[in-house]
Amino acid sequence: MIEINNLVKRYGDKKAVKGISFTVNDDEVLGFLGPNGAGKTTTMNIITGYLSSTSGTVKVNGHDILEEPELAKKEIGYLPENPPLYTDMTVNEYLSFICDLKGVPKDKRKEQLENIKSMVKIDDVQDRLIGNLSKGYKQRVGIAQALVGNPSILILDEPTVGLDPNQIIEIRRLIKSLSKTHSIIISSHILSEIQEVADRVVIINRGKIAAVDTLSDLSKRLSGQSKLLLTFRGSAKDSAAKIRTIKGVSAAVPRVVDSKLSQLEITISTSDTTEVRTQIFYLMANEGWPILEMRSLDPTLEEVFLSITAGKGRA
Amino acid sequence: MLAIFKREFLSYFRSPVGYVAIALFSFLSGFIFYSQFATGAVNIATEVISLRSFFVIIVPIITMGLLSEDKKRGTDVLYYTTPVSLFNVVVGKVLAAFALYAIMFINVVIHIIVTLACGGDFEVGCIGTIIVFFFMAFMFITIGLFASAITDSQIISAIVAFVIILVTQLISTIGSYAGAAVTSVLSAIKVESATAAGNGIASAIAWFDPFVKTQDFRLGIFSVSALIYLVSIGVLFLYLTFRVLEKKRWSQA
Repeated sequence: MIEINNLVKRYGDKKAVKGISFTVNDDEVLGFLGPNGAGKTTTMNIITGYLSSTSGTVKVNGHDILEEPELAKKEIGYLPENPPLYTDMTVNEYLSFICDLKGVPKDKRKEQLENIKSMVKIDDVQDRLIGNLSKGYKQRVGIAQALVGNPSILILDEPTVGLDPNQIIEIRRLIKSLSKTHSIIISSHILSEIQEVADRVVIINRGKIAAVDTLSDLSKRLSGQSKLLLTFRGSAKDSAAKIRTIKGVSAAVPRVVDSKLSQLEITISTSDTTEVRTQIFYLMANEGWPILEMRSLDPTLEEVFLSITAGKGRA
Repeated sequence: MLAIFKREFLSYFRSPVGYVAIALFSFLSGFIFYSQFATGAVNIATEVISLRSFFVIIVPIITMGLLSEDKKRGTDVLYYTTPVSLFNVVVGKVLAAFALYAIMFINVVIHIIVTLACGGDFEVGCIGTIIVFFFMAFMFITIGLFASAITDSQIISAIVAFVIILVTQLISTIGSYAGAAVTSVLSAIKVESATAAGNGIASAIAWFDPFVKTQDFRLGIFSVSALIYLVSIGVLFLYLTFRVLEKKRWSQA
């Protein structure tokens, strides 16, 4: 369990983190979401003890990171954005060096390393130089490094950046399996990635918390902002007006894609995508306008921020 | 501490650095020993003292990457986020560089054995110079480590270490120039006892010269205060290195 209380970090006269507080419960995956430069990495660096906060406290399983650093650090496994790998060592040499650093007792070492290596699937590269591994393997060695010493908390800073889609899926699967026995903080600037793995989300923007929410609440909040993109052939004049008459549609913005074929694209804002989609289908069928494509647009992080801050404005 | 020491020491031999340093030292010591041996006047003390003038090249080679590489690779995160203390990191790295020096010194040991086998001398003054050699190696390594802590470029770190060590080697000369300059300025403005003031400054600066301080060891006179001087400079730079690493936590842009 991590308790973060009113964390502030100042670089000169620039405040990177302006009073962040949240808690991470045991065996929970907390998504830490924010655009680049929002203060995600700074916050994570403070939690792990890499940086000192200007003010505020971080308690890891009851141990303050500044007052009892050694006890607190034992509980944390950290994978920074750039995994801290020695490219001139083999995977085995590197992991046993990490064991030395974290003070893993000699008799438990072998068993623990075997477990970790099979869990993150680096058995087949264990005798190769880290410098010669692919990015995906390097990332996994980075995760293995974080797992050494059996920490109860894992902090992963953008663990899937720069990986190919297959590797991303593998890493996500790994994180999910780890979440059964660890509390995990995972940061990202991609909303869908967090949705895949996290139980709860902290969204920060410009050094401040914009929202703390469970995923279902977040999506409920976002559903009011769902958008559909519809591509069809039909009349530019009537279609937007006719779509707007459908119940639940709050806006429809048409755009002509190809005037010769009278092909149109309409962005529809709605509160209830399922019902609206069937209505649109019947409408198009009646009018004899063939639908070429209809899909829902995932809200971007910017839209999430807009909706969250707008929601606060109303309340 | 042991973990850091082991990693750093082995890493000398994962890259050319360790081999280059050892080869350079072997060549230099071998050359000096050979030129003595050829004339039949072998003196281990002279050899060790001559080798001291190459600290300025060898120390920057072996210390330049100690901390700067970690910063560049991002592996310094490990030192801050694992239970290992920064003090242990700093000491472990110094010990690794020191151990490499000890290995290089095997050359001299071989020369001693050859000398003794051929009926040469190995008196107490030689032991004195060897002791001084290792104390100086420690001091210069901490200077090199400090130079490595303040930058993430190996080249800059090597240059900084080179300059600082060069200054310590020339410090008596620098002192006498400074003294002469003060004398001439003071006598130009007609101050009495200008020469005395100049000499005073020259000898005050020369007080810091580690080579002058330890020159009696060669005669078999062991001066504890000189060794304390070398160690305290070393500890000072260890402390500065430690502070530089600590500071990173507080100010990182």
